[in-house]
Amino acid sequence: MTHPAQEELEAVALGQSGDPKDAEIEGHVKGCTDCSRELAWLRAERTLLRRRPLLQTAHLWPGVAARLEHPRRRTHWAWRIAVASGVGAAAAAVLFAVLRPGPLPVTQPQQSARRERSAIDPKTLAALDRAEADYRNAAKVLEGEYDRLRPRLDPELARRWDETLTRARAQLGASRAVAADDVNVRMRVLDGYAGYLRSLRDLLQESEEANP
Amino acid sequence: MRAASLPGEVLGARDRDSDEELLSRARAGDPEAFRVIFDREAPGVRRFLGDLLRDDAGADEGTQETFVRAHRRLGTLEQTGKLQGWLFGIARMVFLEQIRRKRRESPMPEPAEDFSRTDCGPSPEAMLLSLESDRMLDGALADLDDERRSALLMRIDHGLGYGEIAEAMGWSLQKVKNEIHRARLQLRARLAGYLEEGAR
Repeated sequence: MTHPAQEELEAVALGQSGDPKDAEIEGHVKGCTDCSRELAWLRAERTLLRRRPLLQTAHLWPGVAARLEHPRRRTHWAWRIAVASGVGAAAAAVLFAVLRPGPLPVTQPQQSARRERSAIDPKTLAALDRAEADYRNAAKVLEGEYDRLRPRLDPELARRWDETLTRARAQLGASRAVAADDVNVRMRVLDGYAGYLRSLRDLLQESEEANP
Repeated sequence: MRAASLPGEVLGARDRDSDEELLSRARAGDPEAFRVIFDREAPGVRRFLGDLLRDDAGADEGTQETFVRAHRRLGTLEQTGKLQGWLFGIARMVFLEQIRRKRRESPMPEPAEDFSRTDCGPSPEAMLLSLESDRMLDGALADLDDERRSALLMRIDHGLGYGEIAEAMGWSLQKVKNEIHRARLQLRARLAGYLEEGAR
Protein backbone atom coordinates (compact mmCIF):
# COMPACT_ATOMS: atom_id res chain seq x y z
CA MET A 1 0.00 0.00 0.00
CA THR A 2 1.20 3.53 -0.75
CA HIS A 3 1.20 6.09 2.07
CA PRO A 4 -2.35 6.94 3.10
CA ALA A 5 -3.55 10.52 2.56
CA GLN A 6 -3.29 12.90 5.51
CA GLU A 7 -7.07 12.98 5.82
CA GLU A 8 -7.25 9.20 6.02
CA LEU A 9 -4.68 9.14 8.83
CA GLU A 10 -6.56 11.93 10.53
CA ALA A 11 -9.86 10.07 10.36
CA VAL A 12 -8.18 7.05 12.00
CA ALA A 13 -6.65 9.26 14.71
CA LEU A 14 -9.97 10.99 15.42
CA GLY A 15 -11.83 7.68 15.39
CA GLN A 16 -14.18 9.05 12.73
CA SER A 17 -13.60 6.76 9.81
CA GLY A 18 -15.15 3.37 10.59
CA ASP A 19 -14.06 2.48 7.08
CA PRO A 20 -13.01 -1.10 6.18
CA LYS A 21 -9.87 0.54 4.82
CA ASP A 22 -8.85 1.40 8.40
CA ALA A 23 -7.32 -2.03 8.96
CA GLU A 24 -5.26 -1.63 5.80
CA ILE A 25 -4.08 1.80 6.96
CA GLU A 26 -3.22 0.52 10.44
CA GLY A 27 -1.28 -2.32 8.80
CA HIS A 28 0.67 0.13 6.69
CA VAL A 29 1.36 2.36 9.67
CA LYS A 30 2.93 -0.51 11.62
CA GLY A 31 5.59 -0.95 8.98
CA CYS A 32 6.11 2.71 8.03
CA THR A 33 8.14 4.96 10.32
CA ASP A 34 6.91 8.21 8.77
CA CYS A 35 3.22 7.32 8.89
CA SER A 36 3.62 5.82 12.36
CA ARG A 37 5.10 9.09 13.64
CA GLU A 38 2.46 11.14 11.90
CA LEU A 39 -0.35 9.05 13.38
CA ALA A 40 1.26 9.28 16.83
CA TRP A 41 1.34 13.08 16.52
CA LEU A 42 -2.26 13.21 15.36
CA ARG A 43 -3.36 11.08 18.29
CA ALA A 44 -1.26 13.08 20.76
CA GLU A 45 -2.79 16.37 19.53
CA ARG A 46 -6.27 14.98 19.87
CA THR A 47 -5.59 13.58 23.34
CA LEU A 48 -4.00 16.80 24.57
CA LEU A 49 -6.92 18.90 23.41
CA ARG A 50 -9.76 16.62 24.35
CA ARG A 51 -8.62 15.58 27.79
CA ARG A 52 -9.25 19.09 29.04
CA PRO A 53 -12.51 19.19 31.00
CA LEU A 54 -15.45 21.10 29.55
CA LEU A 55 -16.72 23.91 31.76
CA GLN A 56 -20.27 24.18 33.03
CA THR A 57 -22.25 26.80 31.16
CA ALA A 58 -25.67 26.60 32.85
CA HIS A 59 -24.99 29.88 34.68
CA LEU A 60 -24.87 31.63 31.29
CA TRP A 61 -28.40 30.63 30.35
CA PRO A 62 -30.32 33.25 32.39
CA GLY A 63 -28.55 36.01 30.46
CA VAL A 64 -29.39 34.36 27.14
CA ALA A 65 -33.00 33.74 28.17
CA ALA A 66 -33.43 37.33 29.28
CA ARG A 67 -32.11 38.66 25.99
CA LEU A 68 -34.34 36.33 24.02
CA GLU A 69 -37.36 37.66 25.87
CA HIS A 70 -36.47 41.26 25.15
CA PRO A 71 -33.77 42.54 22.80
CA ARG A 72 -30.93 44.39 24.51
CA ARG A 73 -31.07 48.14 24.96
CA ARG A 74 -29.19 50.47 27.26
CA THR A 75 -27.86 49.25 30.59
CA HIS A 76 -29.17 51.06 33.66
CA TRP A 77 -26.35 52.85 35.50
CA ALA A 78 -27.22 51.21 38.87
CA TRP A 79 -26.58 47.72 37.52
CA ARG A 80 -23.34 48.92 36.02
CA ILE A 81 -22.08 50.09 39.39
CA ALA A 82 -22.96 46.84 41.16
CA VAL A 83 -21.48 44.65 38.45
CA ALA A 84 -18.39 46.83 38.01
CA SER A 85 -17.60 46.72 41.73
CA GLY A 86 -17.73 42.92 41.75
CA VAL A 87 -15.75 42.57 38.56
CA GLY A 88 -13.15 45.08 39.76
CA ALA A 89 -12.63 43.20 43.00
CA ALA A 90 -12.27 39.90 41.19
CA ALA A 91 -9.79 41.41 38.74
CA ALA A 92 -7.74 42.62 41.68
CA ALA A 93 -7.77 39.14 43.22
CA VAL A 94 -6.78 37.51 39.96
CA LEU A 95 -3.94 39.99 39.50
CA PHE A 96 -2.83 39.40 43.05
CA ALA A 97 -2.86 35.62 42.61
CA VAL A 98 -0.99 35.79 39.31
CA LEU A 99 1.52 38.56 39.97
CA ARG A 100 2.52 37.83 43.54
CA PRO A 101 6.14 36.71 44.08
CA GLY A 102 6.88 33.00 44.09
CA PRO A 103 5.96 30.13 41.82
CA LEU A 104 2.79 30.38 39.78
CA PRO A 105 0.02 27.99 40.70
CA VAL A 106 -0.12 25.76 37.64
CA THR A 107 -2.35 22.84 36.84
CA GLN A 108 -0.64 19.47 36.94
CA PRO A 109 -2.17 17.52 34.07
CA GLN A 110 -2.48 13.76 34.26
CA GLN A 111 -3.89 11.17 31.93
CA SER A 112 -7.03 11.03 34.05
CA ALA A 113 -7.38 14.83 33.76
CA ARG A 114 -7.43 14.88 37.55
CA ARG A 115 -6.09 18.11 39.00
CA GLU A 116 -3.70 18.32 41.86
CA ARG A 117 -4.26 21.06 44.37
CA SER A 118 -2.03 24.11 44.18
CA ALA A 119 -0.35 25.40 47.28
CA ILE A 120 -2.02 28.56 48.51
CA ASP A 121 -0.54 31.24 50.71
CA PRO A 122 -2.62 33.19 53.23
CA LYS A 123 -2.41 36.50 51.32
CA THR A 124 -3.73 34.93 48.12
CA LEU A 125 -6.44 33.19 50.08
CA ALA A 126 -7.44 36.49 51.70
CA ALA A 127 -7.56 38.22 48.29
CA LEU A 128 -9.75 35.47 46.88
CA ASP A 129 -12.02 35.63 49.93
CA ARG A 130 -12.38 39.40 49.54
CA ALA A 131 -13.17 39.12 45.84
CA GLU A 132 -15.72 36.43 46.47
CA ALA A 133 -17.34 38.49 49.23
CA ASP A 134 -17.52 41.50 46.89
CA TYR A 135 -19.10 39.35 44.21
CA ARG A 136 -21.63 38.01 46.72
CA ASN A 137 -22.47 41.55 47.83
CA ALA A 138 -22.91 42.68 44.23
CA ALA A 139 -25.12 39.66 43.58
CA LYS A 140 -27.23 40.55 46.66
CA VAL A 141 -27.78 44.08 45.33
CA LEU A 142 -28.89 42.76 41.98
CA GLU A 143 -31.02 39.98 43.49
CA GLY A 144 -32.69 42.63 45.67
CA GLU A 145 -33.48 44.67 42.56
CA TYR A 146 -34.87 41.59 40.89
CA ASP A 147 -37.11 40.90 43.92
CA ARG A 148 -38.38 44.47 43.65
CA LEU A 149 -39.21 44.13 39.95
CA ARG A 150 -40.47 40.57 40.09
CA PRO A 151 -44.13 41.25 41.12
CA ARG A 152 -44.57 43.30 37.96
CA LEU A 153 -43.35 40.54 35.68
CA ASP A 154 -45.41 38.08 33.76
CA PRO A 155 -45.81 35.15 36.25
CA GLU A 156 -44.64 32.51 33.76
CA LEU A 157 -41.58 34.57 32.83
CA ALA A 158 -40.81 35.16 36.52
CA ARG A 159 -41.15 31.44 37.23
CA ARG A 160 -38.69 30.57 34.48
CA TRP A 161 -36.20 33.18 35.62
CA ASP A 162 -36.53 32.02 39.23
CA GLU A 163 -35.78 28.51 38.09
CA THR A 164 -32.70 29.46 36.10
CA LEU A 165 -31.35 31.70 38.86
CA THR A 166 -31.89 28.98 41.45
CA ARG A 167 -30.04 26.53 39.24
CA ALA A 168 -27.16 28.95 38.70
CA ARG A 169 -26.90 29.62 42.43
CA ALA A 170 -26.93 25.90 43.23
CA GLN A 171 -24.17 25.35 40.70
CA LEU A 172 -22.08 28.14 42.16
CA GLY A 173 -22.60 26.76 45.66
CA ALA A 174 -21.59 23.28 44.56
CA SER A 175 -18.48 24.62 42.80
CA ARG A 176 -17.52 26.64 45.86
CA ALA A 177 -18.01 23.62 48.13
CA VAL A 178 -15.48 21.54 46.22
CA ALA A 179 -13.02 24.39 45.60
CA ALA A 180 -11.56 24.27 49.12
CA ASP A 181 -8.13 25.96 48.96
CA ASP A 182 -7.23 25.24 45.34
CA VAL A 183 -6.26 28.54 43.68
CA ASN A 184 -7.20 27.41 40.18
CA VAL A 185 -10.63 26.20 41.22
CA ARG A 186 -11.22 29.27 43.36
CA MET A 187 -10.45 31.48 40.37
CA ARG A 188 -12.90 29.53 38.26
CA VAL A 189 -15.52 30.02 40.97
CA LEU A 190 -14.90 33.77 40.57
CA ASP A 191 -15.46 33.35 36.83
CA GLY A 192 -18.73 31.65 37.71
CA TYR A 193 -19.75 34.62 39.86
CA ALA A 194 -18.86 36.98 37.03
CA GLY A 195 -21.12 35.04 34.67
CA TYR A 196 -23.91 34.99 37.26
CA LEU A 197 -23.65 38.77 37.72
CA ARG A 198 -23.77 39.36 33.99
CA SER A 199 -26.84 37.17 33.76
CA LEU A 200 -28.49 39.06 36.59
CA ARG A 201 -27.60 42.37 34.98
CA ASP A 202 -29.16 41.31 31.67
CA LEU A 203 -32.20 39.94 33.40
CA LEU A 204 -32.77 43.15 35.36
CA GLN A 205 -32.29 45.26 32.31
CA GLU A 206 -34.90 43.28 30.44
CA SER A 207 -37.27 43.28 33.44
CA GLU A 208 -37.08 47.02 33.68
CA GLU A 209 -37.63 47.51 29.99
CA ALA A 210 -40.56 45.10 29.99
CA ASN A 211 -42.15 47.00 32.90
CA PRO A 212 -40.90 50.59 32.80
CA MET B 1 -16.85 26.09 38.35
CA ARG B 2 -17.02 22.36 37.92
CA ALA B 3 -16.47 20.51 34.71
CA ALA B 4 -19.48 19.72 32.56
CA SER B 5 -20.30 16.20 31.46
CA LEU B 6 -18.54 15.31 28.27
CA PRO B 7 -20.76 14.81 25.23
CA GLY B 8 -22.43 11.44 25.36
CA GLU B 9 -22.21 11.12 29.13
CA VAL B 10 -25.28 10.61 31.28
CA LEU B 11 -27.94 11.93 28.99
CA GLY B 12 -31.30 12.66 30.53
CA ALA B 13 -34.57 11.95 28.74
CA ARG B 14 -34.80 15.42 27.22
CA ASP B 15 -31.24 15.10 25.91
CA ARG B 16 -32.17 12.21 23.69
CA ASP B 17 -34.24 14.32 21.31
CA SER B 18 -32.58 14.62 17.91
CA ASP B 19 -31.14 17.91 16.68
CA GLU B 20 -33.75 17.90 13.94
CA GLU B 21 -36.66 17.59 16.33
CA LEU B 22 -35.24 20.16 18.73
CA LEU B 23 -34.59 22.65 15.96
CA SER B 24 -38.05 22.19 14.60
CA ARG B 25 -39.54 22.88 18.04
CA ALA B 26 -37.21 25.81 18.67
CA ARG B 27 -38.16 27.37 15.34
CA ALA B 28 -41.80 27.01 16.31
CA GLY B 29 -41.06 29.11 19.40
CA ASP B 30 -40.60 26.41 22.05
CA PRO B 31 -38.15 27.97 24.56
CA GLU B 32 -37.49 24.64 26.27
CA ALA B 33 -36.20 23.15 23.00
CA PHE B 34 -33.73 25.99 22.56
CA ARG B 35 -32.69 25.56 26.18
CA VAL B 36 -31.84 21.90 25.46
CA ILE B 37 -29.80 22.96 22.42
CA PHE B 38 -27.98 25.43 24.64
CA ASP B 39 -27.29 22.78 27.29
CA ARG B 40 -25.89 20.41 24.70
CA GLU B 41 -23.81 22.78 22.64
CA ALA B 42 -22.80 25.63 24.96
CA PRO B 43 -19.91 23.80 26.69
CA GLY B 44 -18.23 23.18 23.31
CA VAL B 45 -18.87 26.72 22.11
CA ARG B 46 -17.56 28.11 25.41
CA ARG B 47 -14.37 26.08 25.15
CA PHE B 48 -13.88 27.12 21.53
CA LEU B 49 -14.26 30.79 22.44
CA GLY B 50 -12.08 30.37 25.53
CA ASP B 51 -9.32 28.91 23.37
CA LEU B 52 -9.63 31.75 20.87
CA LEU B 53 -10.10 34.68 23.20
CA ARG B 54 -8.00 33.44 26.13
CA ASP B 55 -10.22 35.51 28.38
CA ASP B 56 -12.82 33.77 30.53
CA ALA B 57 -15.14 36.74 30.92
CA GLY B 58 -14.98 37.44 27.19
CA ALA B 59 -15.63 33.78 26.40
CA ASP B 60 -18.68 33.73 28.69
CA GLU B 61 -20.10 36.84 27.05
CA GLY B 62 -19.21 35.50 23.61
CA THR B 63 -21.06 32.25 24.35
CA GLN B 64 -24.16 34.15 25.38
CA GLU B 65 -23.94 36.39 22.31
CA THR B 66 -23.50 33.34 20.06
CA PHE B 67 -26.70 31.74 21.31
CA VAL B 68 -28.70 34.96 21.18
CA ARG B 69 -27.67 35.38 17.53
CA ALA B 70 -28.27 31.70 16.81
CA HIS B 71 -31.81 32.01 18.15
CA ARG B 72 -32.51 34.96 15.87
CA ARG B 73 -31.17 33.05 12.87
CA LEU B 74 -32.66 29.62 13.49
CA GLY B 75 -34.59 29.90 10.24
CA THR B 76 -31.39 30.23 8.22
CA LEU B 77 -29.97 26.84 9.23
CA GLU B 78 -30.82 24.66 6.27
CA GLN B 79 -29.25 21.35 7.24
CA THR B 80 -29.99 20.37 10.81
CA GLY B 81 -27.11 17.88 10.81
CA LYS B 82 -24.74 20.83 10.66
CA LEU B 83 -25.89 22.51 13.86
CA GLN B 84 -22.51 22.41 15.59
CA GLY B 85 -20.59 23.81 12.61
CA TRP B 86 -23.22 26.52 12.18
CA LEU B 87 -22.91 27.55 15.84
CA PHE B 88 -19.12 27.61 15.56
CA GLY B 89 -19.44 29.86 12.51
CA ILE B 90 -21.49 32.32 14.58
CA ALA B 91 -19.06 31.99 17.50
CA ARG B 92 -16.19 32.77 15.16
CA MET B 93 -17.89 35.99 14.03
CA VAL B 94 -18.47 36.96 17.65
CA PHE B 95 -14.82 36.25 18.38
CA LEU B 96 -13.63 38.34 15.42
CA GLU B 97 -15.74 41.28 16.58
CA GLN B 98 -14.35 41.05 20.11
CA ILE B 99 -10.77 40.69 18.91
CA ARG B 100 -11.09 43.64 16.50
CA ARG B 101 -12.34 45.75 19.35
CA LYS B 102 -9.42 44.67 21.53
CA ARG B 103 -6.87 45.27 18.79
CA ARG B 104 -8.17 48.76 18.20
CA GLU B 105 -7.50 49.40 21.86
CA SER B 106 -4.06 47.74 21.99
CA PRO B 107 -2.57 46.59 18.66
CA MET B 108 -0.45 43.45 18.86
CA PRO B 109 2.21 42.26 16.41
CA GLU B 110 1.35 39.25 14.22
CA PRO B 111 3.18 36.09 15.32
CA ALA B 112 5.98 35.00 12.99
CA GLU B 113 5.78 31.56 11.41
CA ASP B 114 8.54 29.16 12.37
CA PHE B 115 8.29 25.55 11.26
CA SER B 116 12.02 24.93 11.45
CA ARG B 117 11.83 22.47 14.30
CA THR B 118 8.90 20.42 13.08
CA ASP B 119 10.78 17.31 12.13
CA CYS B 120 13.24 17.23 14.95
CA GLY B 121 12.98 17.01 18.69
CA PRO B 122 11.07 14.84 21.14
CA SER B 123 8.31 12.39 20.30
CA PRO B 124 4.56 12.95 20.66
CA GLU B 125 4.56 10.27 23.36
CA ALA B 126 6.99 12.37 25.40
CA MET B 127 4.61 15.28 24.93
CA LEU B 128 1.68 13.39 26.41
CA LEU B 129 3.69 12.24 29.40
CA SER B 130 5.15 15.62 30.19
CA LEU B 131 3.73 17.12 33.36
CA GLU B 132 3.77 20.52 31.71
CA SER B 133 1.95 19.45 28.57
CA ASP B 134 -1.26 21.38 29.23
CA ARG B 135 0.68 24.58 29.80
CA MET B 136 2.77 23.90 26.69
CA LEU B 137 -0.35 23.27 24.64
CA ASP B 138 -1.84 26.50 25.89
CA GLY B 139 1.28 28.44 24.91
CA ALA B 140 1.57 26.73 21.55
CA LEU B 141 -2.07 27.43 20.70
CA ALA B 142 -1.65 31.05 21.72
CA ASP B 143 1.15 31.42 19.19
CA LEU B 144 -1.06 30.42 16.29
CA ASP B 145 -2.74 32.98 14.10
CA ASP B 146 -6.40 33.43 15.19
CA GLU B 147 -8.00 32.07 12.04
CA ARG B 148 -5.63 29.14 11.82
CA ARG B 149 -6.24 28.34 15.47
CA SER B 150 -10.01 28.41 14.86
CA ALA B 151 -9.77 25.91 12.02
CA LEU B 152 -7.43 23.58 13.88
CA LEU B 153 -9.61 23.54 17.00
CA MET B 154 -12.76 22.92 15.01
CA ARG B 155 -11.08 19.93 13.43
CA ILE B 156 -9.18 18.31 16.29
CA ASP B 157 -10.96 19.41 19.44
CA HIS B 158 -14.52 19.49 18.15
CA GLY B 159 -14.31 16.91 15.37
CA LEU B 160 -15.89 18.99 12.60
CA GLY B 161 -15.40 17.77 9.03
CA TYR B 162 -13.42 19.79 6.51
CA GLY B 163 -16.62 20.73 4.67
CA GLU B 164 -18.26 22.01 7.84
CA ILE B 165 -15.15 24.03 8.69
CA ALA B 166 -15.12 25.51 5.20
CA GLU B 167 -18.71 26.68 5.69
CA ALA B 168 -18.09 28.01 9.18
CA MET B 169 -14.96 29.90 8.14
CA GLY B 170 -16.20 31.00 4.71
CA TRP B 171 -13.14 29.40 3.11
CA SER B 172 -12.59 27.02 0.21
CA LEU B 173 -12.01 23.37 1.07
CA GLN B 174 -8.43 23.66 -0.14
CA LYS B 175 -7.77 26.63 2.08
CA VAL B 176 -9.12 24.72 5.09
CA LYS B 177 -6.71 21.88 4.36
CA ASN B 178 -3.77 24.21 3.87
CA GLU B 179 -4.46 26.22 7.00
CA ILE B 180 -4.96 23.16 9.20
CA HIS B 181 -1.77 21.64 7.83
CA ARG B 182 0.18 24.82 8.55
CA ALA B 183 -1.38 25.12 11.99
CA ARG B 184 -0.30 21.57 12.78
CA LEU B 185 3.27 22.16 11.68
CA GLN B 186 3.45 25.31 13.72
CA LEU B 187 1.87 23.69 16.77
CA ARG B 188 4.24 20.74 16.66
CA ALA B 189 7.27 22.97 16.22
CA ARG B 190 6.26 24.95 19.28
CA LEU B 191 5.51 21.85 21.36
CA ALA B 192 8.81 20.25 20.38
CA GLY B 193 10.60 23.46 21.28
CA TYR B 194 9.02 23.51 24.73
CA LEU B 195 9.93 19.89 25.37
CA GLU B 196 13.52 20.46 24.37
CA GLU B 197 13.77 23.47 26.65
CA GLY B 198 12.32 21.43 29.48
CA ALA B 199 14.82 18.62 28.93
CA ARG B 200 17.81 20.95 29.27
